[in-house]
Amino acid sequence: MKEEIWIEKYRPFKLDDVVGQSESIERLKSYVKTGNLPHLLFSGPPGVGKTATAVSIARELYGEGWRENFTELNASDERGIDVVRTKIKSFAKTSPLGDADFKIIFLDEADALTSDAQAALRRTMERYTNNCRFILSCNYSSKIIEPIQSRCAVYRFRPLSDAAVEQRCRYVAEKEGLQIADDGFEAIKYVAQGDMRKAINALQAASMFETTVHRDNIYKITATAHPEDILEILKTALEGKFMPARKKLDVLMTQQGLSGEDVVGQIYRAAFDLDILPKQMVDLMDVIGEIDFRLTEGADERIQLDALLAHFALSGEE
Amino acid sequence: MASIEWVKKYRPNALSEIVGNKKAVESLKKWAEEWQNGIPDKKGIILHGQAGIGKTSAAHALASDLGWETIEMNASDQRTASIIEKIAGSASQMSSLTGTSSKRLIILDEADNMHGNADRGGKRAIGNIIKNTDQPILLIANDLYSMTTSIRSLCEVVKFNTIQSRSMIPALKNICVEEDIMCGVGVIEKIAEISGGDLRSAVKDLQAAAIGRSEINVEDVTTAERDTKESIFKVLAKIFKSTDPVAALHATYSLDETPEDLIQWIDENLPIQYQEGKEGIDSDIIQGYRNLSRADIYLGRVKKRQNYRLWRYAGILMTCGTVTAKSHIHRGFVKYQPPSIWRKMGQLRAKRNMRDNVASKIGQHCHKPIQQTRIELIKMYGMMLKDEDYAVNVTTNLKLDVDEIVFLTGGKKVTKKIQKIYDSARLQIEETASSDINVFFKTGKNDKGQMKKQTGFDQIPDNATSNAMIDKIGDTSTPTRQKKKPQKTLFDF
Ligand SMILES: Nc1ncnc2c1ncn2[C@@H]1O[C@H](COP(=O)(O)OP(=O)(O)OP(=O)(O)O)[C@@H](O)[C@H]1O
Ligand SMILES: Nc1ncnc2c1ncn2[C@@H]1O[C@H](COP(=O)(O)OP(=O)(O)OP(=O)(O)O)[C@@H](O)[C@H]1O
Ligand SMILES: [Mg+2]
Ligand SMILES: [Mg+2]
Repeated sequence: MKEEIWIEKYRPFKLDDVVGQSESIERLKSYVKTGNLPHLLFSGPPGVGKTATAVSIARELYGEGWRENFTELNASDERGIDVVRTKIKSFAKTSPLGDADFKIIFLDEADALTSDAQAALRRTMERYTNNCRFILSCNYSSKIIEPIQSRCAVYRFRPLSDAAVEQRCRYVAEKEGLQIADDGFEAIKYVAQGDMRKAINALQAASMFETTVHRDNIYKITATAHPEDILEILKTALEGKFMPARKKLDVLMTQQGLSGEDVVGQIYRAAFDLDILPKQMVDLMDVIGEIDFRLTEGADERIQLDALLAHFALSGEE
Repeated sequence: MASIEWVKKYRPNALSEIVGNKKAVESLKKWAEEWQNGIPDKKGIILHGQAGIGKTSAAHALASDLGWETIEMNASDQRTASIIEKIAGSASQMSSLTGTSSKRLIILDEADNMHGNADRGGKRAIGNIIKNTDQPILLIANDLYSMTTSIRSLCEVVKFNTIQSRSMIPALKNICVEEDIMCGVGVIEKIAEISGGDLRSAVKDLQAAAIGRSEINVEDVTTAERDTKESIFKVLAKIFKSTDPVAALHATYSLDETPEDLIQWIDENLPIQYQEGKEGIDSDIIQGYRNLSRADIYLGRVKKRQNYRLWRYAGILMTCGTVTAKSHIHRGFVKYQPPSIWRKMGQLRAKRNMRDNVASKIGQHCHKPIQQTRIELIKMYGMMLKDEDYAVNVTTNLKLDVDEIVFLTGGKKVTKKIQKIYDSARLQIEETASSDINVFFKTGKNDKGQMKKQTGFDQIPDNATSNAMIDKIGDTSTPTRQKKKPQKTLFDF
């Protein structure tokens, strides 16, 4: 049991277990209650409960034998235009099993479907609604062609609030007999950025080191600098104290074994919290992006980060 | 428990039930009347427009009003040349056999979504069928311009517009009455607004809000805005009018647009909004483009490296950068325009595909690789095609179709001259090699025999569905509104 991965172990299996999307979930619950389900399009960033919600709907609608009437196709399955016209269409055509009113086709990562394949879904979705309802999930709904959006009730899943992340982590911790310190919660929320998958993974990783999860372990495991340290370094640089800022960053990186790209990501986040003019913020963001790009191209992280701090120092003087 | 989709239940069955689009419906009727009295000039008609505004409904309603049979092919079917010829082609040639005066309406839905590979040759086949049909042919598309010029030139073109709120609201209220749903103040209006003129999505949202309730209040409308132009306009206003860059950035998050699309919107409207009709160029425009071009560089990097993390910088530079580019507030009211590049790009892409097709035909003929062909020989052949002595033979040898001749000669549409060249070439091809070309229209007898052989329901080729089949498979849950006319199935052809 120990080696089981928590994101699967604690995958919600009823709609009430999905946290943080309450408006959508309330509505979806009444669809389940009345047995009346429109075609649905879930859109939103990774790890916020789209797949979990779709599966929960099926489990609540069909009970034990939910898999019989629930088919999932994700991007790793073959889903070209031919498959849509043959396999998906014939699945949509045939009657549901048992006493179910209809079955559900879940197209996960639907934004990976080509627009031709999407077009091939249009009349199939209209025609066989008696047998079959579609749930589509995607990260960017703008990649779903308008006619398909028109055929669905669209639900946007937002990055989860800190409160929602905390709520679910509390639940998981309780089940696992784990304590989480207050600063541990802060750290989990910071690294998760609204992504529950990240949050639970961090929690599980930390649980291997301590029975009360503290922030140091969360940051260490996820190769993250303490956000206050980053903010401190940027402020120092903005005051024109380039050498001290550079030294601090150097220590931080060698001590914690951070990669340049991770640090740039955190600098990006911290830049929103700096007390600077909007114009200045935009210009600095451009510099951060430029450095970020160069790092991905294989440039030396020390040199690039020094250059970045130099820009901050210059910008602070102006 | 039984669940009925309202969009299905309230699909118009008669043209008189189509909401809005009076002018389009009139044109459609007029065209159909011409068919009742003979064979019109334009044998095909194209209904085009945004999603969910009644195009497919109007097509079927027309047939039902006039007691015409229908046969439909859509993007859920495979539509290669031979399949189209078999289904639509044979249907378009059958009237002489049955001898009735009633018509059969051939509906090619989603005609703009012909797949290059899986539907090979389909577009050409459609063109040919329209030319030779003695039955009315109706094409439906979202994007008029992704259909070939020759198809467009053979058809009456009718545009369906998005549905105005003032027409939409009574229609939605009507449904509420029928369904015994009470609506609080502003509910219908909100749904209509969110829909951006798409009546299907409005009906969807109404039902989505009504399920499990007998009364709806404004806060119960929880389905999100779809990505229509309406929602982007609001975000653009935030970007161009406000002084808070982070608020503008957050507004774009609710949009769910990719930065690649958003930048086109900003680019299209930035100069209009910041110029305010002044003389010379406003310096805010220069600053705005400085940031926009930086954003664009990040987009290019994302594309090249598939490193989506860099999108965030593009997003900030294009939104926050446009906000902070303002040295003063720009008050003028501007009607935001969708990126004109999209329409042009659609045309450009079509052109490029065309060029490649032609190049490969020439390449095969001259045993040259495509790249070389493109530059040198396309020009050469263009010139030869303008010369009457060469034109027919070139067309024959390369097996060009009319659109390709138009392209090579640098023309805009199919002229009489081009049509003549093409027809002579076809004749030549048929004469020289009558055995190895496809016969486009099989005789009625043949087809009849072929179809008759199929007995079981399942054996009907998936490629065509007549109304009768739809009724059996799909529409059984339409309790209040039955399809009226018994329609013939494929068996009867
Ligand atoms: N809102 C939530 N409530 C509870 N658990 C959640 C929630 N969102 C995500 N999780 C947890 O994270 C895991 C991954 O979530 P899920 O597969 O639903 O993400 P997703 O939104 O479909 O992401 P992707 O876009 O990557 O497919 C779930 O198994 C669950 O453990
Ligand atoms: N003009 C309209 N009048 C009445 N109902 C409409 C109208 N437009 C759309 N609807 C409603 O929306 C549903 C879908 O309409 P229809 O299939 O005709 O849309 P479409 O224009 O063909 O869209 P698409 O381009 O997505 O195929 C109808 O069943 C009906 O409920
Ligand atoms: Mg998922
Ligand atoms: Mg349609």
